[in-house]
Amino acid sequence: MSNEIKTMDKSPIVKKKNTDEAVESGLAKLTRERIKNTINQVLQNETGPRFKAYVETCMHCGLCAEACLYFLSNDRDPSYSPAGKVKQTIWEMLDKKGEVSIDFLRRAVHIAHLECNVCKRCSMYCPFGIDIAYLMLMVRRICHKLEITPLYIQDTVNSHSATMNQMWVKEDEWIDTLQWQEEDAREEFENLRIPLDKVGADIMYSVIAPEPKFQAGLIYQMATIMHAAGVNWTMPSTPGWDNSNMAMFTGDNEISGRIARAFYETAARLKVKRVVMGECGHAFRSTYDVGNRWIGWAMPPFEVVHALEFYHELLTSGRIKIAQKYKKTVTLHDPCNVSRGRGLHDMAREITNMLCESFIEMTPNREHNYCCGAGGGVINCGPPYKGERMVNNRVKAEQLKATGAEVLIAPCHNCHSGLEDIIHHYNLNMEVKFLGDIIFETMEKKIYQSGD
Amino acid sequence: MNAFIDFIMGPMVWITFLIFILGLILKIVLILKDVNAREPYIYSYMTLKHSLRSIAAWSIPFFPKSTKQSPVFYGVSYIFHLLLFLVPIFLTAHIVLVNEAFQVSWIALDDSIADILTIMVGLGLVFFMIRRMMVPEVKYLTSCKDYLLILIVALPFITGFIAYHQFFLYRPMVIAHVISGEIMLILIPFSKFSHMIVAPLTRAYMGSEFGNVRHAKDW
Amino acid sequence: MKNKIIFLSFILFLLTAVVAFSNTELERLDNSDFQKPQRPGAVFEHDGHNEMAGIDDCNVCHHVYEGKKLVEDESSEDSSCADCHSLKAVVDNSITLELAYHKRCKNCHFEQNKGPVLCGECHIK
Ligand code: HEM
Ligand code: SF4
Ligand code: SF4
Ligand code: SF4
Repeated sequence: MSNEIKTMDKSPIVKKKNTDEAVESGLAKLTRERIKNTINQVLQNETGPRFKAYVETCMHCGLCAEACLYFLSNDRDPSYSPAGKVKQTIWEMLDKKGEVSIDFLRRAVHIAHLECNVCKRCSMYCPFGIDIAYLMLMVRRICHKLEITPLYIQDTVNSHSATMNQMWVKEDEWIDTLQWQEEDAREEFENLRIPLDKVGADIMYSVIAPEPKFQAGLIYQMATIMHAAGVNWTMPSTPGWDNSNMAMFTGDNEISGRIARAFYETAARLKVKRVVMGECGHAFRSTYDVGNRWIGWAMPPFEVVHALEFYHELLTSGRIKIAQKYKKTVTLHDPCNVSRGRGLHDMAREITNMLCESFIEMTPNREHNYCCGAGGGVINCGPPYKGERMVNNRVKAEQLKATGAEVLIAPCHNCHSGLEDIIHHYNLNMEVKFLGDIIFETMEKKIYQSGD
Repeated sequence: MNAFIDFIMGPMVWITFLIFILGLILKIVLILKDVNAREPYIYSYMTLKHSLRSIAAWSIPFFPKSTKQSPVFYGVSYIFHLLLFLVPIFLTAHIVLVNEAFQVSWIALDDSIADILTIMVGLGLVFFMIRRMMVPEVKYLTSCKDYLLILIVALPFITGFIAYHQFFLYRPMVIAHVISGEIMLILIPFSKFSHMIVAPLTRAYMGSEFGNVRHAKDW
Repeated sequence: MKNKIIFLSFILFLLTAVVAFSNTELERLDNSDFQKPQRPGAVFEHDGHNEMAGIDDCNVCHHVYEGKKLVEDESSEDSSCADCHSLKAVVDNSITLELAYHKRCKNCHFEQNKGPVLCGECHIK
């Protein structure tokens, strides 16, 4: 008996981690031939000199480790370090020329989908600027092509593919929800409208599918803000209204491109001047940075403005006035997709200071903020992995706790959900809010007249 | 024997530098050709301003956050890389040889100073090696190839040091020094040492993605 | 066994001592013309070298140049090398003193495929 324990101690730690039925049934269908061909096809035909440089130049120095939430939260376990994850996936695929085992793939799906949130923090710590998130997305691409993507996130992609939105929201359901919110908001403002398909409006407002599905109140809030600010705006009634893009995170680039195209085409059809997006980070990444590239636009064909930037404009131009500043102590989470991804962190601070009386910074912050460990597709892999996600987010929890703030502002949907899980799991006793929530709470509820 | 020495210190030096320089040029040309053929979109994101901005920020010692978090490693690395170029270029014995061949010379380090700097390069390499053995996240990434790289850099310095002090086996030591130096130079374009020119490229690209598209800093 | 080791170490010690002391007696070239020489003067035993190398004519080394032309049949053993070869290259003579020594010795040793050609083979510590 004692002997057995000894040998177990010596053996390499075999990670017994959850996987789910989609992964398992996908793995069961694979043949060696298919694995090899798929891996080689992706690594040879879908990459280029950039990939090559990243693989060939990495000096194995481990400096990227310090950047990664997963590495830090797992007591500096090297297998969670950014380059460590590349070693366990890409390097081995290259070494073995694609002839990898089922066990290897089970581990690879796990690493790429659950142990890296593609937040790109590590590329700010690697002296060469190696883009490990890109390499992890390449692994996800391979998993997609092998049809071993985790169940929940694959379901959202299926929904995207069938309905052009992430949550299987039906067209009438969508329009119904908007009208219902319009009606409710009329209690606040008598003539408030949520104008649908108004061709030639200044702004198309666009949200992610979870809003009509679970958080319709957010649409209500935004409608109130738009109305009070006297903005000439519209929302589309047709597919293309959802700006979220889970396919971007599963490596299903073809569907990702379709989603982005539908989105821009909707804006084009409505002949709007620009698109304002709700407080979502990954959706912004899709429309501002990723989706556009897949359909051949270096930069988005439309001016795409994140809610954060839009609020800043409304507040500084005086279109929205704050009646009374928010009293509770707040701290701010910089969503990686709009701070590291778009440099909106300074604006976020200005807004927070305009709205709130007492703002406590969390450290590190701005571009260097720790990721929420959710919105890079990790949270979307669903409940089977929640416990593990909480372990992987320990450092984020510590960072939040150190602020001692009562309210955590997170201008991003996935951050929001991820952070709520963290707060609950670690008993942090904080309330998570969108900037929109606080604006709605503190603003003067009257309609802007120019010259006011 | 003198004929052999004449070869490794004459024609072989020419061959070495030719391979070294042409190899580096070839490497860049191949990368750019590959970019043109397969990822030409890269150019639509690269800007000179943001490329240089990032390279400059990363060239200032202890400016990027990463360097502040690992000051000892970066400190050693800065000194190691600086001396890696400085010592060979400003070594009296090397300058004397260049002078004999081309009658050009430049200021030289005092031999006693060069001696100390060589020891520092050696200590730097020992530090890298120990780090590879001791620090878990580095150990995890390390394979024998990484030790081999350290050895390849170490050899010219070790043999040069022993030869300079005439500790033992003087003639074989100088020959080993010359040959290992040539091997190192020849390998630069074809090994991970090519980071010498690839690093500015990857940095420039990431700097541009961050500066130009993401409006954020990458240091 | 232990005694053997002690005995051997003693012999070794004596040997190094002998080698170390005998080294100080080497005949070297006078390098006092150089400012701050980095290495000790080259070990050179004039007569022994020439005998071994079979050099009879002085002007093989102690040459005379007029402008850029070698003057055959004349030799310069009465003057010091530094009379013509200055420390820095000058218009009249681009060959510095250091270069003159190095080239004189090494070129010949390479041509003959004999003799020292590496720094420390002449500048013995
Ligand atoms: C100007 C050109 C160069 C630059 C900018 C550069 C930069 C770097 C960087 C950023 C690293 C990774 C981490 C670090 O040690 O800081 C590195 C590692 C290293 N470089 Fe360079 N390098 C250059 C030239 C060279 C050359 C020519 C050699 C040797 C022939 C060399 C040998 C090494 C070695 C051995 C390491 C790894 C240290 C370890 O084992 O951790 N480098 N270099
Ligand atoms: S992208 Fe983010 S989560 Fe992924 S390895 Fe890098 S730091 Fe870690
Ligand atoms: S910091 Fe960069 S070079 Fe070093 S191990 Fe990480 S990815 Fe490789
Ligand atoms: S959810 Fe938020 S912090 Fe998290 S990945 Fe999104 S943008 Fe990043």
